[in-house]
Amino acid sequence: MTASGEPSHSAQPTADTGDEAGLAARLAARDAAALREVIARHAAVLHRIAFRMIGEAQEAEDIVQEALLRLWDQAPKIAERHPVGSQAAASLRLGGWLSRVVTNLAIDRLRRTRRLAGEEVPDTEDDSPLADALIEANEREGLTRALVAALPDRQRAAIVLTYYEELPNAEAAAALDMNIKAFESLLHRARAALRQAFAAQGGAL
Amino acid sequence: MSGTPQDPGAPITRGSPLARKLDDFAVPALSADFEARVLAAAEARPAPLPELRRPARSARRWRIGQRIAIGIASFGVLASAAAATGLLEQLNIPVPSAEKVWASITGKPAAAAAVPASARPAPAAASTASAMRAPVEIIGPIDTPEELSEAFRRIDDVREGRYAARQQRIDQRIDAEIERRRAAGLRVPTPEEEARLRARIETAEARRKEQVDARVAARREEMARKVESGEALTRKDVLQPLREDAQALKREQQLRQLRRLPPAERREALRRLPPAERRALIEDFRARRAGGVATSAPATSDPAPEASPAE
Repeated sequence: MTASGEPSHSAQPTADTGDEAGLAARLAARDAAALREVIARHAAVLHRIAFRMIGEAQEAEDIVQEALLRLWDQAPKIAERHPVGSQAAASLRLGGWLSRVVTNLAIDRLRRTRRLAGEEVPDTEDDSPLADALIEANEREGLTRALVAALPDRQRAAIVLTYYEELPNAEAAAALDMNIKAFESLLHRARAALRQAFAAQGGAL
Repeated sequence: MSGTPQDPGAPITRGSPLARKLDDFAVPALSADFEARVLAAAEARPAPLPELRRPARSARRWRIGQRIAIGIASFGVLASAAAATGLLEQLNIPVPSAEKVWASITGKPAAAAAVPASARPAPAAASTASAMRAPVEIIGPIDTPEELSEAFRRIDDVREGRYAARQQRIDQRIDAEIERRRAAGLRVPTPEEEARLRARIETAEARRKEQVDARVAARREEMARKVESGEALTRKDVLQPLREDAQALKREQQLRQLRRLPPAERREALRRLPPAERRALIEDFRARRAGGVATSAPATSDPAPEASPAE
């Protein structure tokens, strides 16, 4: 992160782009070792994105798994469009592709959960003996989560991708299927909302 | 400070209170068996299905253009087929010939063009006679007897062609109706009945032609007198009376048909007609009642000459 707050490098593991095409070709050939390699390269980043979007570890893992399996399914098409050694192969970024899928899956999951739960507050207080202690222990983290979770879905994704994962704006915009101008506007609104929520919690900017 | 008060959307600076707060959001590690789970799920995943359809090409505009071109070509083929098989004539849709269209563009009388090729009389004697005649060119209004004769000759050519085409259409309709009845298993007229029917229609047609001829002859005498007295006749002067005669004849037929209807149906049929046509028909009817039939339209009381055998 630079002084201006913009990421100076991609948070994605630095993989040789030509190698990405080779990896896609191996995935297309149903090579389990290739999938293992993809998991090693990208799973941690994807999990962080999913977790900070969803706030629930198991669900975040499910989302990452779904994204990886989609890559497994789509690999023949991807490999066909980016043949090894071609100019298209140089532009292939499996990390970017996976980030986009994870972000979209997380947004879908949030929307579905909200629809099913109807934003209802539990009727009764959780009086289990561990609850108070747990809340107290995680109070600070909980407040931060609440801060991020209070943002609208896409604004939350913008903060997760640019602040936490330090993705360049262009890559974050691609992950959200937006053009760069629209993304910058979204990011601006996200930061403003975050500051407002932080100030409301009593934080000093 | 992670953003100025003036710009709340400014980037979040590392080390600022907000950044420190955000950094509290820790992420747990992935489960130890995550990789194994994904690999097992991938192994169990069925192979993707082949594509059901070809991926859409990017040239959408060309696809639309292609469809429009195919549509136009199909319409052209169907329209040509319909015109060639005579379907449009059966549906009473006029199909102008190329000669007629050209004549309407150039403004020259389409005398020869109006005669169908099949019905055009081509006796050797007539052709030699017309070859022996010196060609008369009509330039401007008709102001000489020669030009008037030439105009009448051209009109006669057209009329002959129309009569021949009309006769042919009557024959076709009779044949088609007999064929239809035969195909439907209905009784068809015996040869004697058919001959009687054709004779009756021919008689009616001949009578109609006589009446029209008489009317035309009267008109021509009148025009010849005008030309002899030095008056020039335009194309409109020649053709308009013919058109009026044709309309009068049509109205006469309509009146005959209306007379056969019960009063309520007659009123309804009149109501359905276009206003101008209804007005003309009522005027004709009044004139006829007042005894002026002879001057307004050829008086006929024959059945409609084109009536099909089923009628």
